[in-house]
Amino acid sequence: MPQKTPSALLYGALDALILKTLARGPRHGYAVARFIEDTTGDAVLVEEGSLYPALYRMERRGWVEAEWGTSELGRRAKLYRLTDAGRAQLAAELATWRRFSAGVSKVLFAR
Amino acid sequence: MAAVLCRRLEGAVCTMKRSLRSWLWRVPIAHEVDEEIAFHVEMRTRELVERGMDPNTARDVAIGRLGDLAHIKRTCMDLSRKRDREMRLTQWLEELRDDVKFALRQLRSSPAFTCIAATTLALGIGANSAIFALVDATLLRPLPFHEPERLVTMWERSDTSQRSMVAPLNFLDWNERSSTFDLMAGFIPGVGGMVMDGADGTAETVPRQWVTAGFFDVLGVTAIAGRTFLPSDDSQRANVVVLSEGLWRTRFNADPTVVGRDIRLDGSAYTVVGVVPRDFQLLGRSSIWALAAINPRPALRSSYLLRVIGRLKRDVTLEAAASDMTAVTAGLAREFPQTNTGRGVTLEPMHDALIGSELRLTSLLFLGVVGIVLLICCANVANLLLARATVRTRELAIRSALGAGRRRVIRQLLTESLVLSAIGGALGVGVGAAILNIAPAVIPQGLLPAAVTLTFDLRVVAFCVAAALLVGLLFGLAPAWQATKFSSAQVIASDSRTVTGRGGSIRGVLVAAEVATAVLLLFGAGLLLRTLMAVRNVERGYGAESVLTMMVDPLGSRYPTEEALRQFFEAVEREVEVLPGVRRVAWTTTLPLGPADAGQSFFEIVGDPPVEESQRPTADYQIVSHAYFQTLDLPVVAGRVFNDRDTGDSVPVCIVNEAFVHGYLQGRSPIGLRIALRPTASPQAPAVMREIVGVAHQVKGRPDETEDLVQIYVPMAQDLVDDIYFVVRPTSGRAEGLAGSVRAAIARIDKAQLVSVRGVMTLEDVAWDATARHRFRAVMVMTFAGLALLLAMVGVFGILSYSVQQRVRDFAVRRALGATTSDVLRLVVGSAVPVIAVGAVLGLVLSTVLGRLLGSMLFGVQPLDPMTFAFVTIMLTLTAAVSMAGPAWRATRIDPAVALRSK
Repeated sequence: MPQKTPSALLYGALDALILKTLARGPRHGYAVARFIEDTTGDAVLVEEGSLYPALYRMERRGWVEAEWGTSELGRRAKLYRLTDAGRAQLAAELATWRRFSAGVSKVLFAR
Repeated sequence: MAAVLCRRLEGAVCTMKRSLRSWLWRVPIAHEVDEEIAFHVEMRTRELVERGMDPNTARDVAIGRLGDLAHIKRTCMDLSRKRDREMRLTQWLEELRDDVKFALRQLRSSPAFTCIAATTLALGIGANSAIFALVDATLLRPLPFHEPERLVTMWERSDTSQRSMVAPLNFLDWNERSSTFDLMAGFIPGVGGMVMDGADGTAETVPRQWVTAGFFDVLGVTAIAGRTFLPSDDSQRANVVVLSEGLWRTRFNADPTVVGRDIRLDGSAYTVVGVVPRDFQLLGRSSIWALAAINPRPALRSSYLLRVIGRLKRDVTLEAAASDMTAVTAGLAREFPQTNTGRGVTLEPMHDALIGSELRLTSLLFLGVVGIVLLICCANVANLLLARATVRTRELAIRSALGAGRRRVIRQLLTESLVLSAIGGALGVGVGAAILNIAPAVIPQGLLPAAVTLTFDLRVVAFCVAAALLVGLLFGLAPAWQATKFSSAQVIASDSRTVTGRGGSIRGVLVAAEVATAVLLLFGAGLLLRTLMAVRNVERGYGAESVLTMMVDPLGSRYPTEEALRQFFEAVEREVEVLPGVRRVAWTTTLPLGPADAGQSFFEIVGDPPVEESQRPTADYQIVSHAYFQTLDLPVVAGRVFNDRDTGDSVPVCIVNEAFVHGYLQGRSPIGLRIALRPTASPQAPAVMREIVGVAHQVKGRPDETEDLVQIYVPMAQDLVDDIYFVVRPTSGRAEGLAGSVRAAIARIDKAQLVSVRGVMTLEDVAWDATARHRFRAVMVMTFAGLALLLAMVGVFGILSYSVQQRVRDFAVRRALGATTSDVLRLVVGSAVPVIAVGAVLGLVLSTVLGRLLGSMLFGVQPLDPMTFAFVTIMLTLTAAVSMAGPAWRATRIDPAVALRSK
């Protein structure tokens, strides 16, 4: 079993991960989870219980839009898409993450 | 670029779809969340199965990985609901913004209508807000003291009077022995004056009230500088005063070092211990409060001087306090039987004592009346709106056919009404503020108690806002309902002619009522105006044009003998007479049309048969100096005036006036007759025998008196008082110019500054004050009459333009068939005249009743005065003509060709 990243670290980054995933095109919730897992090579296991609340929160904030469409299975699925506001938010989150991780790295890997 | 555009379009479509769905179909949110979670579980299960897990296990794992399903569902549903709510709110706000913009555009496009409607509303709301300020001050606003509901006013009760003043020693015992009161304090009602050192050497009289030590503590007033009185001040009997903030700022420039300093008042030094805030003026408008330390002399148990206020202990009821105090007074009656037998106590909540129930009822009555006026304003504006709404019926029908829904259309129309009423309300705030600004100038002194201050504060503004809202809904609902009543198909298919509005008879009745009210109020205003003019022009009796008067009041303790007083007065006379611009000076205790300080005196004519005690006649007793009659140009029609030979040692003399001669002498010649003057009616009272030496011309005591005032003049040399009016007649020009030099002259005599000089005004001012109540009544009724007339005008204008609008085709057909302009005019006017006539007749009939009701307030005019009737009729005709002019003009301008072609 791959190391599960402590959820505390993940909490703040979940929004950013979802936004970045959706930047590549509209997806439904499951697809978002799979994409993050696949891309991180399962190093990051999305806490699925917080995925959907996160999506709903972001929809309320206007960063994503949802629409019911047809999925690969032929079933109805709710597809999320990034809005312009979401795009701006993603850029902001990326910048914050860069600053944060650079700062932490400096301390952790200093001699 | 295209991609962005595509995305934007998709986004917009998505939003529309979503909003449409959530609006119209409201798919249950729970359903959606369930479906989404189910899909996720299914997908995860498939993935796990593909990896080789058993299907059932896979499903369990998939569900397990999600965690607390119920929690997820709850959170998502909650978030979803919140989001929908927010979306609906933004949508609603957007629609509101659009409605308001549309409404403003509509109002801008018909400026005449907007002006008339807004003005009508402004007047109605403004008048209401002014009266609300009165109601607020008398009923709603609590007294500005700490926990005012615990404050109680106390009086002594005896067999002869329920509310009499309190003796100081009784007050002290009440304070000590009561168990239901925190503290009591007393004050001498009425505000006197104290003479204070003027900065420039002149003496300044400042209003002053005597209070006991606990006064400010009972009321819960804290000083803004220094302190208020302490019990130690009382026990030391210190000469201490507290200043009002107003005096502190104007006279001492808010100098904090004044506290602790001594100032000279009435010739003695008083220490200033503190300053109290400006708002504290309820119990008397005073600038200085001086400590009245009570000296426990036995005589003070039967001198009834004080008004007492007390603060109840927390949670003590008035009844409990009353029974407690009854026990205390019973105890005092046992201890001091000579003075306190049968004397109890009356308690009353301070609010009731300061603001009588009559005033509260009156203000409620005013509010009711003005409220009705506002309703009439609403009716008027509703009328006007109805006229407009019928024109827009097609537009509204089309809107509703396009899916706006009746409720949406009504909402839009209501928004328009509310915008209009908001404008009216905003203007009404200005109107109300203006009214309250000029109110103090118009309301006569003493009509409102000191506790009632009309201020234009946030509460009044809040009232205006509430009134505007209510009014907007009231007058907007009816037209909105009316306009959307007809089914769209029916309206669009037909032409506007067949869309008639019902309720025309109600409108007619309303306008008739407005006309009747206007006529009634105009009649009342006319009568009161004539009364005012008669009262102002009444023949006063004296000839002098402009005379300066002032009250001169030397301190009794410093001018203890009559001789000293006399010398002072003579010195002042000599000093002022030589001033440039002064023609003559004199002294008197009564000012014509003004106060009569020496009061009334009983008299008997010597030689006449004795009269029953209860029937003894009285006359106004006036003490004057020799030069009085000359100074005021008051002719003495028989006999002589007083002269230097009339001194304290010679025969006591008097001069009577014409009313005395007519009323009591039955044709005898008055000169030489002797009368006995007594200050009270009992035969034991000392009488002074005086010989009549002259008869003076009649002088008015009150401008509207129906019976002539009987006066007896007595020379100053033979009866002296220590507060008397000084009158100064200038050689030419206005008397006000002499005020400064006269005061300076008096100051030169009064070097010790022990003389209070106050009430400096001219006899003109005195006469003006005398007619204050008449002026107030006339102004009030005239204002309401003007308002009513304006409303009636708007009402007539409204129904007439509505009717013309309805009958455009009708008139057009008539004109096409050969009717002339005058025919059309006759038709138009003919539709309005019956309504006006009915209203006018009703109003005139009611006016006769009003005339009789006003009877006691009228002077110099009959209750059914024909001139006033004529005036009212003319005003009404003019107003009716003006209000009919607009619609009549429009009717005559109807071009048959255009009207018949258009729909």
